[in-house]
Amino acid sequence: MTAVAVQEPGTLAVFTRAAAAEWLRLRTVRTTWWCLLAAAVTIVGLGVIAAADDAQGPVGPGNPLPSTFAGEYGVMLGQFALLVLALLAVTQEYATGAIGPTLQWTPRRGVLLAARVAVPAVVATVVGVSLALIADVLALLVDPDLTLSLADAADSLARIAAVLVAGSVLAVGLGFFLRSTAGALATVFLLQLVLPFLLPAFGVQWMADLGELLPGSGAIWTLLREPEMTATQATALLVGWSGVALAAGGWSLLRRDAG
Amino acid sequence: MIQVRGLTKQYAAVCAVDDLTFDVLPGKVTGFLGPNGAGKSTTMRMILGLDKPTAGSALVGGRPFARLGEPLRAAGALLDAQAVHPGRSGRDHLRVAARTHGIPVRRVDEVIDQVGLGPAARRRVRGYSLGMRQRLGIATALLGDPAALLFDEPMNGLDLDGVRWIRRLVRELADDGRTVLLSSHLMSEMEQTADHLVIIGRGRLIADASIQEVMRGEGAARKVRVRTPSTDQLAGALLRMRLRVHPTDDGELLVEGASAETVGDVALEAGVAVHRLAEEHTSLEQVYLDLTGDSVQYKVSGTPELVRR
Ligand SMILES: Nc1ncnc2c1ncn2[C@@H]1O[C@H](COP(=O)(O)OP(=O)(O)O)[C@@H](O)[C@H]1O
Ligand SMILES: [Mg+2]
Repeated sequence: MTAVAVQEPGTLAVFTRAAAAEWLRLRTVRTTWWCLLAAAVTIVGLGVIAAADDAQGPVGPGNPLPSTFAGEYGVMLGQFALLVLALLAVTQEYATGAIGPTLQWTPRRGVLLAARVAVPAVVATVVGVSLALIADVLALLVDPDLTLSLADAADSLARIAAVLVAGSVLAVGLGFFLRSTAGALATVFLLQLVLPFLLPAFGVQWMADLGELLPGSGAIWTLLREPEMTATQATALLVGWSGVALAAGGWSLLRRDAG
Repeated sequence: MIQVRGLTKQYAAVCAVDDLTFDVLPGKVTGFLGPNGAGKSTTMRMILGLDKPTAGSALVGGRPFARLGEPLRAAGALLDAQAVHPGRSGRDHLRVAARTHGIPVRRVDEVIDQVGLGPAARRRVRGYSLGMRQRLGIATALLGDPAALLFDEPMNGLDLDGVRWIRRLVRELADDGRTVLLSSHLMSEMEQTADHLVIIGRGRLIADASIQEVMRGEGAARKVRVRTPSTDQLAGALLRMRLRVHPTDDGELLVEGASAETVGDVALEAGVAVHRLAEEHTSLEQVYLDLTGDSVQYKVSGTPELVRR
């Protein structure tokens, strides 16, 4: 064998390759495709059902309703299929031991973290936004009284994108931190869906207040404009929780043994 | 070239690797021998930056592995053949690895042929036998045409053909001028495969010698038997030199890992009379067998101690 002086690639090149590898990783396991199918069925299906439901009710002709609520309702539930996709990208490697080879190929853990956060977040967001748009357009067909202006669509899709970016970063961060599929999945569901709906249902003030501090409440507000809170509060919840999860997951990946 | 310096890994209950220092040189097959639980896997994981050492360091090709941008060109490793996503095909597994280094898919098919994975490469790993997983792991290790290779117990669970194949492969890799570190818990496996041996037990280095030296019983752990009227005094002086001392049944002292010169000098310094001083050689194989046979006898601890027997 001949010894060749190897030029060390720069950080950006290493990241680009790691991200390309992450993309290939996602595409080459079936769970990804099942998650995407589930997301498509839920987002488009629920969106169309919501529109059909609305078509039966009285829509004031003087007050045209944008069809964007279809995509928003769809994403409210359908986001979980996409969050599961992002989460499994992390935890399945811990479950199978594949994190060992992965870290031998990309031992610079900061680079791996960046790629493993960025790729699932982009995939979840692009897919979620596209499906929401499809739901909005189908809603127009179901209920011709609805409208869809460019401005309404842009506003709605931007809010959906914010929810999906925050949600997938939360899921990936928790995945790295907890390393177990079951643990991370349960935590994401509790924080993002179950507790924000459950806590206010008890009718106890402090429980409702607590519920409003969870990331799911920020997501629900961003999508559906409830419960009562300001845009600043909702943004703080989305950014804060995903930031904390990312910091915890990053700490776990960078400081602990491979696992 | 792999350099291990004072490498130590302390888990809550055990010191898995205890102040290991050795070099793995290119052009040779270095056997990394030790009984189960000796710390071989932990050492390899630390060399590859998977586990963080409690102390010490390891360099691969002169650099810490965890900082490399193209690690697969520096070292390829097979640590755990089972550690693969079962839902991906062997070929896709290799394609992912290749993509982290910008290696063309052509090379993926080359290593698939080289390890004889053949058409199975397109099936999902879930259905692979252990032998096929080993081959996939070795293909991955070879992918980046690396200067160093680390194989952790690659012959475990292989049939005779598989074992022969691995022997031939590591020989070729070493003849190519690569650095090859191959672990095993079986001395017999190493006899026919390795040029050089690094032997550890309970995380500690027992020997670092060529296979010929080991077979001849040279480079063996030396013991010195010494008879003195002032047993306690001499034992104390030897312990202060961080030597391990055992009193024998016939009232002598057995000093491990020291030469007769050292023990004589220590005795002179302590002003102790010596009535008999004799070196005892034990073959490494015997040391190794003792170690595997009776783990209590060779209790290794960080502090010098007097072991009564
Ligand atoms: N993650 C871990 N946590 C605690 N103890 C460990 C861990 N990994 C290995 N050990 C212990 O460290 C020692 C060395 O293990 P290992 O490196 O696997 O040995 P070998 O590969 O030589 O059989 C064993 O006593 C083992 O139980
Ligand atoms: Mg082992």
